[in-house]
Amino acid sequence: MSEKMGNFEVQPGKKTAFFTDSTTCIGCKACEVACKEWNGLEADGYNFSGFSYDNTVGLGASTWRHVKFVEDTPIPGLGGNSPDHNSWEFSSDVCKHCEVAGCLEACPTGALVRTEFGGVFLQPDICNGCAYCVISCPFGVVQKNEEDGRAFKCTFCTDRQKVGLEPACAKACPTQSIQFGVLETMEEKAADRLAVLQDRGMADAQIYNPTHTSVKGIHALFLIRGEPETYNLPPNPEVPTIYLRDGWKSAARDGFLLLAGVAAAFMAARSGRKDGIHV
Amino acid sequence: MPGLGTTVGRGGATTALTSLADSDAIMIMGSSMAEQHPVGFQWVMEARERGGKVIHVDPRFTRTSASADIWAPVRAGTDILFLGGLIHYAIEHDKWFKDYVLTYTNASTILREDYRDTEDLDGLFSGWDAEKKEYSPDTWLYEGSEKKRHPSQPAPGHHPADGGHGKDRGGEAGNTHQYTTDPTLQNPRCVFQVLKRHFSRYTPEMVEQGCGMPKHVFLEVAEAFTSASGPDKTAAICYAVGWTHHSTGVQIIRSAAILQLLLGNMGRPGGGILALRGHASIQGSTDIPTLYDILPGYLAMPFFEDDSTSLSKYIDKHSDKAGVWAHFDAYIISLLKSWYGDAATAENEWGFQWMPRVTGDHSELGYWLDMADGKMEGLFVMGQNPAVGAPNGRLQRSAMQNLKWMVVRDMVETETASFWLDSPEVKRGELVPETIATEVFLMPAAGQAEKNGSFTNTQRLVQWHNKAVDPPGDSRSETWFMYHLGRRIKEKAAREPGPKNIAINNLTWSYPTEGAIAEPVAEAILAEINGCHWDTKMHIKTYDELKPDGSTACGCWIYAGLMPAPDKNLPNTRESHDSLGHGWGFAWPKDTRILYNRASAKPDGTPWSERKKLIWWDPAAGEKGKWVGEDVSDFKPDMPPDYKGDPNKRGLEALSGDQPFTLHPDGRGWLFVTSGLKDGPLPTHFEPLESLVHNPVYPSEQTNPPAHKKERPDNPYAKSPDDPRFPYVLTTYRLTEHHTAGGMSRGLSHLAELQPELFTEISPELAAMCGVKHGEWVTIYSPRGLLSAKALVTGRMAPLKVNGKMVHQVGLPYHWGWKGITTGDVVNDLLAISESPNVRIMESKALVCNLIPGRRKQGPAALKELNKLLKERT
Amino acid sequence: MSETQMLIEQLVDQREEHLLEIRREAELTGQVKSPGVRPEGSPFPIASPQTGYYQQPLLKEPQWTQLIPFYFFVGGAAGSLGVIGSLADVLGDEKRLAEQARWLAFGGSVLSGALLVTDLGRSSRFLNMLRVFKPQSTMSMGSWILSGFSVFASISSAADAMDALWGANLLSHLLRGMGRFGSVIFGMPFHNYTGVLLATTAMPVWNARANSLPGHFGMSGLQSGVSILELMGHEDNRALNLLGVLSASMETWEKIDISKSNARALLPLKHGGSGVLVSTGAWLSGPVPLLFRIGSVFLPERSVALRRLAACAGIVGSLFTRYGWVQAGKSSARDWRLALEIEAPKEVAMPTTAKRSTGRVIAKAAGAICVLATAFFVLRRKF
Ligand SMILES: Nc1nc2c(c(=O)[nH]1)N[C@H]1C(S)=C(S)[C@@H](COP(=O)(O)OP(=O)(O)OC[C@H]3O[C@@H](n4cnc5c(=O)[nH]c(N)nc54)[C@H](O)[C@@H]3O)O[C@H]1N2
Ligand SMILES: Nc1nc2c(c(=O)[nH]1)N[C@H]1C(S)=C(S)[C@@H](COP(=O)(O)OP(=O)(O)OC[C@H]3O[C@@H](n4cnc5c(=O)[nH]c(N)nc54)[C@H](O)[C@@H]3O)O[C@H]1N2
Ligand code: SF4
Ligand code: SF4
Ligand code: SF4
Ligand code: SF4
Ligand code: SF4
Ligand SMILES: [Mo]
Repeated sequence: MSEKMGNFEVQPGKKTAFFTDSTTCIGCKACEVACKEWNGLEADGYNFSGFSYDNTVGLGASTWRHVKFVEDTPIPGLGGNSPDHNSWEFSSDVCKHCEVAGCLEACPTGALVRTEFGGVFLQPDICNGCAYCVISCPFGVVQKNEEDGRAFKCTFCTDRQKVGLEPACAKACPTQSIQFGVLETMEEKAADRLAVLQDRGMADAQIYNPTHTSVKGIHALFLIRGEPETYNLPPNPEVPTIYLRDGWKSAARDGFLLLAGVAAAFMAARSGRKDGIHV
Repeated sequence: MPGLGTTVGRGGATTALTSLADSDAIMIMGSSMAEQHPVGFQWVMEARERGGKVIHVDPRFTRTSASADIWAPVRAGTDILFLGGLIHYAIEHDKWFKDYVLTYTNASTILREDYRDTEDLDGLFSGWDAEKKEYSPDTWLYEGSEKKRHPSQPAPGHHPADGGHGKDRGGEAGNTHQYTTDPTLQNPRCVFQVLKRHFSRYTPEMVEQGCGMPKHVFLEVAEAFTSASGPDKTAAICYAVGWTHHSTGVQIIRSAAILQLLLGNMGRPGGGILALRGHASIQGSTDIPTLYDILPGYLAMPFFEDDSTSLSKYIDKHSDKAGVWAHFDAYIISLLKSWYGDAATAENEWGFQWMPRVTGDHSELGYWLDMADGKMEGLFVMGQNPAVGAPNGRLQRSAMQNLKWMVVRDMVETETASFWLDSPEVKRGELVPETIATEVFLMPAAGQAEKNGSFTNTQRLVQWHNKAVDPPGDSRSETWFMYHLGRRIKEKAAREPGPKNIAINNLTWSYPTEGAIAEPVAEAILAEINGCHWDTKMHIKTYDELKPDGSTACGCWIYAGLMPAPDKNLPNTRESHDSLGHGWGFAWPKDTRILYNRASAKPDGTPWSERKKLIWWDPAAGEKGKWVGEDVSDFKPDMPPDYKGDPNKRGLEALSGDQPFTLHPDGRGWLFVTSGLKDGPLPTHFEPLESLVHNPVYPSEQTNPPAHKKERPDNPYAKSPDDPRFPYVLTTYRLTEHHTAGGMSRGLSHLAELQPELFTEISPELAAMCGVKHGEWVTIYSPRGLLSAKALVTGRMAPLKVNGKMVHQVGLPYHWGWKGITTGDVVNDLLAISESPNVRIMESKALVCNLIPGRRKQGPAALKELNKLLKERT
Repeated sequence: MSETQMLIEQLVDQREEHLLEIRREAELTGQVKSPGVRPEGSPFPIASPQTGYYQQPLLKEPQWTQLIPFYFFVGGAAGSLGVIGSLADVLGDEKRLAEQARWLAFGGSVLSGALLVTDLGRSSRFLNMLRVFKPQSTMSMGSWILSGFSVFASISSAADAMDALWGANLLSHLLRGMGRFGSVIFGMPFHNYTGVLLATTAMPVWNARANSLPGHFGMSGLQSGVSILELMGHEDNRALNLLGVLSASMETWEKIDISKSNARALLPLKHGGSGVLVSTGAWLSGPVPLLFRIGSVFLPERSVALRRLAACAGIVGSLFTRYGWVQAGKSSARDWRLALEIEAPKEVAMPTTAKRSTGRVIAKAAGAICVLATAFFVLRRKF
C-alpha cells in the first residue's frame, strides 16, 4: 500500500528523512509556526535578539523547528542567489534524527525510541525528566521543559507519518525548501542538488551529513552555503557513548584501587596495631 | 489600478502566479514578494530553478533579494526614473519587440499638433492649469479623434471628485477609425517618437545620479531583463505597495506597463505584470468594490453633474463604440436589474435615479480629514484598524472623537475600537476619555474559517472557502450583519413609503437564510453576482449574454459565469488540470488566466514561438476556425486574425482580428494614454512630497504637480527638498511574521514571538554617524510625530550615493500598536496624509525623518520633546 | 556657496565614502582601525565561521538542580563507606568502625535515592528507570547500581539491626555476608559511576576527562567517606589515615594533571566561577589534607587536630569538587567555540559575562568562609 499525500509517499519499511535546502528557503518561518501549531507548543518568550530576523534563536523544548538567519553585508548587484556572494542565507533547523543518537543511547527509561521510519521519538508518557538526554545530544536539540518536567523535541511527526501525512513543517514550506521522503531518495536529491549548484558556480555549497563520525549520518540532511560552524552545526559531532570505554575503564581502575586500598589499609593497620603502631 | 487600466484595459494582474514559472526573467520591484506573498513566491523560485533570472529592485536587501540573482538598490521614490531608464535602454539598444509594438500598441498613432511634452515645458504637459492645479487632457488626444464630451464637463477620469478606479476613461480616444497612424514610426508626432523623446533624459547616468544605483548594476539589470524578452522569451514584473504608495504610484505602474508593451511581454506566458494585491480578497474588494467612486465591475459611480442626469447621458459618457465597453449599457442595466428587480423598468431608467451620486472626495483619507473637521457623524469600521494602519495616526485617532458613533466589527478589540481609552493621545493628555462623546459599538466578527464565502486573490482568481467551525459566541459574519441590518432598515423604510425611501424600498433583499441565527446562504449571493435571465432565472454563462433591455440581471458583469448553473459553484472547484490552474476556482473574466492572450500569437494567428505558445488560431477548429490553446481566449473566440474591423459595427466587431486589447476602443495597448490620468499621458519622474533631493530630471518641478499634499496644521510637512531637520529618507514596509495593522498577528503567540518588538533597520554607517547602538533604543521623528524602536543595525540597508551625496535610508516595519502580546509605537504617526492624484492613496514609502539615540519620553513629555526637536534642529 | 561651505561639503563626502569602505570591517570585526569613526554598539553580532551562530551556544546546559552535585557527594561517600564497612571488620578487626560505616552507607543510599528522585522532572516516574537495563546509558546503569547498592546496604544494616535486637544469629550472619559481598560489588561502581555519568555526555569539559573523571570522583568519594568516619570519632584510626593519604595523593595528582593540560575544553576548570570551585575543591581534597595527614604522622601531639582539619578539608573539598564540575559542565556548554571546534584567539578566555563574574566573586567568598569556618570549629574543639 502506498498512499500519495502531497509530495510524500508512505512506503512501509522504508526509512524516511528530511532534506532541507537552504538555497531555496525564503526565511518565512512557516515551518516553525506550523510545527508549533501542529504540536500545540508554547511561545518561547518575546525577546528581541538583534540577531538578524531570528528572535527564537535556537531549538529547544518549545521550538522544534527553528529558522536561522545568516547575514553578510550584501553587495549591490548581487542577490542571494548569486554564486559570488552569499549575503543572506536562511536555514531551517530541526532535530537531526541521528543514525546513532546520543539522546536515545542515554535515555535510562526507554522513553526515547527509534520509530519504524528511522526517526528518534520521545514518548512523553514514559519520560521522567532525568534530563540526561539533554546533555547527551551533540546537537543541543532536546531540552527539558522546566515547568512540565519532561524533555521535548521534534517527534519526526511520527503521528502524521503513521497516517500517511508528511511532517507539518515540510507540508507548510511554500518553496519546498524542506523536502521529506525516503532516506535514500533524499540523499540522492541532496547529491543531485549539490551538483546542480556547483555547476552554477556555487562553490561554497555543501551538504551537511556527518557520516564520518560516530553519529554515522542523520535523517535531516542540510544543504548550506558556507561552513557548518556558521549555522551552529558541529563539524565533528560525536555520540557520547564513545566515551563509555574510557569512562568505565577509569571507574574500574578506581574501583579496584578502592578495594585494594581499603583491604591493604585495614590489614596494614591491624598488623601495625599488633606491632604497637598507632597513628 | 488605473496604471494598468489605462495602459492595457483592465486594472488587474495580467497574468497568473503559476505562469511566472515560465518566465525567463522576473523583476520584482516595489514589493518584497518572498515576504509578503510567500506562497505565490514558489513560482518565482520555480522560474529561478529553471534558469530564469530573478531581479529585485528595492531600497533594502530583503528576503526577496536573498532569493534573487540580482539586487539593485534604489532610493525610495525614484521608481519612474529607474523604469524610465529601462525604457530608454530598450529603445536605445534596439531591444524592443518591433513586430509586437507595431501591431499591438498605439506606437504608430499620431498625436495632436498642440500636444506638448514635459520635454517642451520643463516638467509639465500641455493643458496645465496652474491655478486649479490640474490638467485638462484636451491636447493629449489622437490626431483626428473627436472630443465627445460637453465642454463644461471635466474629461473622463478628470472629475475632481473622481477616485480614479472606474472605467472612466478611454472614450476620448474616440472612434476607432478616426485617427491616423504612421507604421514607419518616423513621424515626430507619433506615439513612439514622443515616447522616445520623453524618456531621452533617463540615461544610465541619470539613473545612477537620481536613484543612487551604481551604473554597472543598472546596466546589468537592463541587459538581463531586456534580453529575456522577445519571440522566444518572456519576462514578468511583480509589484505591490512599494509602487502604489507614492504620489506618483499610478505612473510607476504605467512605466512598467509601457516597458512590458515595448518588450512584447503582455498577454504572453511568463510575461505580463503581476499586481500583487494585499489582504486575501483585496482584488475582490475592488471588483465588487468598497471604493466610493465605482460600482461592481469597474462601472463608474455617477457623479453629481450634467453627465449623470439621465441614464442615457451616463451611458453615453462611459461607453465606447468599439471593444468590450461598447456594451456598457448592458452591464449597468443588468446591475440595476439585479439591484432593483421587478421595480426596475425602462420607464424609471431601471432605477438609475435611485442610485446615490458622488459629490466630492469621499475617499478614505478624504473622509478622515472631514472627520477631523467635524463633518462626519458616524462610521462603520469593518475589518480595518486605521488607528494603527492609516497615515498620520495622531490625526486619525483624534478625529474619531468628533464622531457621534462608531461601529467596529472585528475579531479582536483593535486600537481603533479603544482609541478613546488607552491611545497615545490619552496617555499624552491630548484626549480625555471623560469628554469623548463618541459611542463605540464593538461587534465580534466571524473569521474566514467560520463562514462560507469567497476570496478573489491577487491573480483575479475567485476561490471559495467553506466554513470549518461555528463562530464563537455572538460573532457574526459580514453577510449576516449586512443582511440583517439591511433587512431592518428595509422594514423601517417600508413603514414610511415615499420618495425619500424609494431606493431602499425597491431594493431586492431576499436571501435565503439557514440555521438558528438565520445566516444568509452565501451561495445565493454568489448566484446574484453571477446573474440570470430575469424571466427564466437561467444562470448567465458569460457576460456576452447580458442585454441592455432589462431581460438580464447581473451583480458584477466581469464575474458573470462563475456560477453557470445553480449547482455549479466554480470558485469551489479544486481540481486543477493544467499548469495555469484551470479547474481550480474561477478567474475573471470568463476564467481567463492570462489577459490579452491574443497577443501571445503573431498578428497572423500563429504563436510567436513554440516555446512561448499560449493560444493560436486554428482554422480547422469549429466551423470557421477558432482560437485554441492552453488558456480561455480573451478575445472573440471565432474572430479570425485577418478580420478587419467594421466601423459601422459596435463592440468587438468594430475591432480587427489583430487587436488584442479589447477594452480599448482602438484594441491596442497604450504606450501613450490619451485620457483618464490626472497627472499626464506619460510617466515622469518627480520627487516624493518629502524628499532630500532636488528633482534631477526636471529641476523646476520638484513634485508631481497635481498631487494633493493635504497640508494643514495637523498634517504638516517638512520643507522639501532638503529640510535640514530631516536628513534621512524614511520608508515603511511589512514583515512576513506580522499582518498589516497587527490585529491578526500581534495577539498570536506563535507569530508575536517571531518579531516581538518594533525595530528600525539602519546601516552601520548611519548608526556610527548618529551614535546609535545595535539592539538599543533609538528615537525617530518626522514633522508629524516621534516614536522609539530598537535599532537593528544591518549591512542590508545600504547608503546610496545620490547626486554625489550619501543618502541614508531608515526602514520601519509598521505592524505595531499598543494592544496585543507585543506592543510598540505606531509607525504611521510619522506619516502624512497625502493623496496621489489618481487613486488617492497616501505616500507611505518615501518620506524624511531624523533620528537620535535613546528612547523617547513617555506621556505628555513626548510631544514637548518633539516640538523641541523640531525647533532646535532648524 | 561659500568656499568654507564647499570645503565642508567635500569633507562630508569624503567621510561618507570612507564610511562605505569601513562598513564591512565594522560589521565583521566590530572594530574599525581607521581613526575617527567607531560604529557604536559594535561588534554587531554576526554568524560566521569565526563567530559561530551569533556566538550562541550549540549545546544545551545541564538542567539538573543543585541536588545532583550533592547526590554525587553523598553517593561517592556512601559507596566508599559500603566497601569500608564490608571489609574493615573482616580484614581490619574494626567492628565499631565497620558497623558505623555500614549504617552510613545505608543512610547514604537512602538519601541518594531521595535526592535523585526529587531532582527528576516527574519524580513519580522514577521506576521507569528500572523498566530497562541499558549498558550504553550510564544513567540507566547508575540507577541499577544505586538500586543494587541500596538493597545490599540495607541487607547489611538489617543484619546489624538484628544483632542489636536479638543478638548474633545464623540468619544475620548469612545476611551480613550477602550484604557485605553486595556492598563491595556495588559500592565500587557506586562511589565513582557519577564520574562516568558526566564523562559520557556531550559536555566537552566532562568528556575530555573521560579516562580520569570517574577515578577523580571515586577518590573524592573515598576522601569524604574516610573523613566522615574520622569526624565521627575515628580520628586516630590509622587505616583511615592511610586511605586518606591515598585519596589525597590521587587528588593531588589529578590536580597537577589538569593544570598541566592546555586543552581549551578544560578552561572551565580553571576560569570563572566553576574554576574557583573546582580548584578550591582540588586544593581542599588534594594537597591540603595530604599535607595535614602526613604532618599528623610526624607531629604526634597535634595529630588529632591535624587529622580533623584534614577530614574537614576533605569533605568540603569533595563537595566543592562536585559542584565545581557540574558548574564547569554548564560553562563548557556555554562556550560556543568548543562544540564547533573554533580556535579561540589567544587573548580570549572563557566567555564570561557580568553575571558569571559575580558568580566568581560569590564562589570565592563562599570558599573562603567555608575554609575559615571549618578551621575555626575544628580548632575550637581541640583547644
Ligand atoms: N506576511 C504578510 N504578508 C502580507 C501582508 C502583511 O502584512 N504581512 N500584507 C498584505 C498587504 S495588505 C499588502 S498591500 C501586500 C504588500 O506587499 P509588499 O508591497 O511586498 O509590502 P511592503 O513590505 O509594504 O513593501 C514592499 C517593499 O517595498 C520596498 N520599498 C519601499 N519604498 C520603495 C520604493 O520607493 N521603491 C521601491 N521599488 N520599493 C520600495 C520596501 O523596502 C519593501 O521591501 O502584502 C500582503 N501580504
Ligand atoms: N506606513 C504604512 N502604512 C500602511 C501601509 C504601509 O505599507 N506602510 N500599508 C497600507 C496597506 S496596503 C493596508 S492594506 C493597510 C492595512 O490596514 P488595516 O486594514 O487597517 O489593517 P488590518 O490589520 O489588516 O485590519 C484588518 C482587521 O480586520 C480584522 N478581520 C479579519 N478578518 C475579519 C473578518 O472576517 N471580519 C471582520 N469584520 N474583521 C476581520 C482583523 O482582526 C484586523 O483587525 O495598511 C496601510 N498602511
Ligand atoms: S539530534 Fe540530538 S535529539 Fe536529535 S536524534 Fe540526534 S541526539 Fe537525539
Ligand atoms: S529526560 Fe526523559 S527522554 Fe530524556 S533521558 Fe530522561 S527519561 Fe529519557
Ligand atoms: S517533523 Fe513535526 S515535530 Fe518535527 S519539526 Fe517538523 S513539524 Fe515539528
Ligand atoms: S517554511 Fe520553508 S521557506 Fe519558510 S522558513 Fe521554513 S524552510 Fe524556509
Ligand atoms: S497568508 Fe494566506 S494568502 Fe498570504 S501567503 Fe499565506 S496562505 Fe497565502
Ligand atoms: Mo494592502
